[in-house]
Amino acid sequence: MTERKSRDEISKLTFEQAIHQLKDIVSKIEQGEIPLQDSLDQYEKGMALIKHCRDILQKAEKRIEKISKEEPPEREKEGDSEPRLKG
Amino acid sequence: MWCAEPSHSTYRALQSRAVVKPGAIVYNGSGQGDSRWVATKFMHTQTRTRIYTVTQVNSLVKEVLDANLPAWITVKGEITDWKEHGSGHRYFSLKDEESVLPCAMWRTSFARVKFKPANGLAVVVSGNIDLYVPQGRYKLIVEEMMPAGVGALQLAFEQMVRKLEAEGLFSDAHKKPLPKYPQRIGILTSESGAAVDDVADSVHNRWPCTRLYLYPVPVQGPGAAEAIAAAIADVNRRNARLKLDLLIVGRGGGSLEDLWAFNEEVLARAIYASRIPIISAVGHEVDVTVADLVADARASTPTKAGVVAVPNVEDVLSDLVHQEKRLTGSVRARHDISCEHLQTILASAVFRTPMLAVLNREQHLDDLAWDLGDAMRTVFLRTQKLMQDYYEQVARIEPHRLLGRMTVELNELKSRSLAAVTRVLSDKELKITAGENRLAALNPKSVLNRGYSITMNKQTGRVVRTAEDVQTDDLLVTELAHDNLIESRVTDRLKRDPAADTESPDSSDDGRQTP
Repeated sequence: MTERKSRDEISKLTFEQAIHQLKDIVSKIEQGEIPLQDSLDQYEKGMALIKHCRDILQKAEKRIEKISKEEPPEREKEGDSEPRLKG
Repeated sequence: MWCAEPSHSTYRALQSRAVVKPGAIVYNGSGQGDSRWVATKFMHTQTRTRIYTVTQVNSLVKEVLDANLPAWITVKGEITDWKEHGSGHRYFSLKDEESVLPCAMWRTSFARVKFKPANGLAVVVSGNIDLYVPQGRYKLIVEEMMPAGVGALQLAFEQMVRKLEAEGLFSDAHKKPLPKYPQRIGILTSESGAAVDDVADSVHNRWPCTRLYLYPVPVQGPGAAEAIAAAIADVNRRNARLKLDLLIVGRGGGSLEDLWAFNEEVLARAIYASRIPIISAVGHEVDVTVADLVADARASTPTKAGVVAVPNVEDVLSDLVHQEKRLTGSVRARHDISCEHLQTILASAVFRTPMLAVLNREQHLDDLAWDLGDAMRTVFLRTQKLMQDYYEQVARIEPHRLLGRMTVELNELKSRSLAAVTRVLSDKELKITAGENRLAALNPKSVLNRGYSITMNKQTGRVVRTAEDVQTDDLLVTELAHDNLIESRVTDRLKRDPAADTESPDSSDDGRQTP
């Protein structure tokens, strides 16, 4: 349950937040700041963060959406995605 | 004065000048002399005796000027006496070394001037000469103004840079940090230009995982700067929903005039006010605009925007691999170390011979008991030796011998003092006996024993020494030895022959009466 929850939380992180947390975990484990049992949990979390980062990086968006003043956004170029922005 | 009639030759010469077509005449900058044309006109119309109103004269002069001067004159000079009227019109003069030409520039013309004219600035202006009839004064009505030497836009750019720099808009302290891994980037540029694709490609080639949002804006022409500034403000206002973490503002290369929107104050201030970090990407490498200076970072061209804006995905991926290795490696190392530690603990003596600890402690206790005994013995021996030392010290003093010596000395002193006292006493005794003997010999009563007596006058009680001591019939008392007394009476006083006195020589000495 908690594992499920933490996985959901990770998937909501921005790339910057995720990589920050990852580096924090790595340095804590390296410096032996956390007990063995916790370090195994942290290891799992770290691996999940790495996966999340890879997912973000491999999501090649390669498209441009258009925003304009006081209007709902229209999609431009590739037409395979829902517009995300509302004006 | 116009009434001075010029000679015919002068008249003809002036007449010939007056018919020269407008536009061929280059204004010489001189502020005087054109009244001759007025005179010519008067001569020509043969109206010497006619009387004119002031307005008629001024109107006539204006008519002559309009007819004979070129409609478009370009003049170079230095601005002086610059005035900005509340109406928006500008009044000033141009001067050279010798003369001054009054000028005016209407509000609509001045709005096209990009730079800021000021006193002392050398300018080239164009316009037409106009005479203001109510005052009889003429002015150059300026429609275009350019700085002399440098281009107008260049000057305007420099002026703007100086102004905004003085206000601190370019200060590093106000530069916002760029996000390290942008996820949503806004691009503010023209929808039709190449810049949007250049920026998008340069970003996505390095960092494909970001979303790009185009906010189309005009990037040149009147109102472009205002439109871009409004777009920046709009995006900032709506960013709670847009969630853009970076803006790229720019356009492709062009002339200084094309790029002018990016030098305007309104855009500079909008960039400065933005809470979202802004990268400027304007024109070619060499073009530097005010927007570049005020933006948080500058890409020299739109195609370089990606390098400035986003990391290289390859670098980030390899960093992720590195982090993964560190994480796995450190956890594995941690596990190995823990296992090793456990092995060490299991292999330790405690687990092999559990009684060892007890035995060790017993041995320790024995050692302590030994140590205690030794310590007590040492204390006892030290005390004993100390007592012996004191005893010997006391014995060395030998009190009994000291006492004996004192007794001998005392006895000696006693006998010596006794002897001394005895001697002194016997000396004194001898002296006393001798004195006694002598004293006894001197006692007058002892003389009585030898037959001497003492005669005293009974009346006077005195010893009678001479015959003169008594009178006839005086009673005498004579004392004899052994306290016998006799009483007698003087019958006569006689004087013996002195030869007879030798019988008792010492009687005269003692005063005693010879018997």
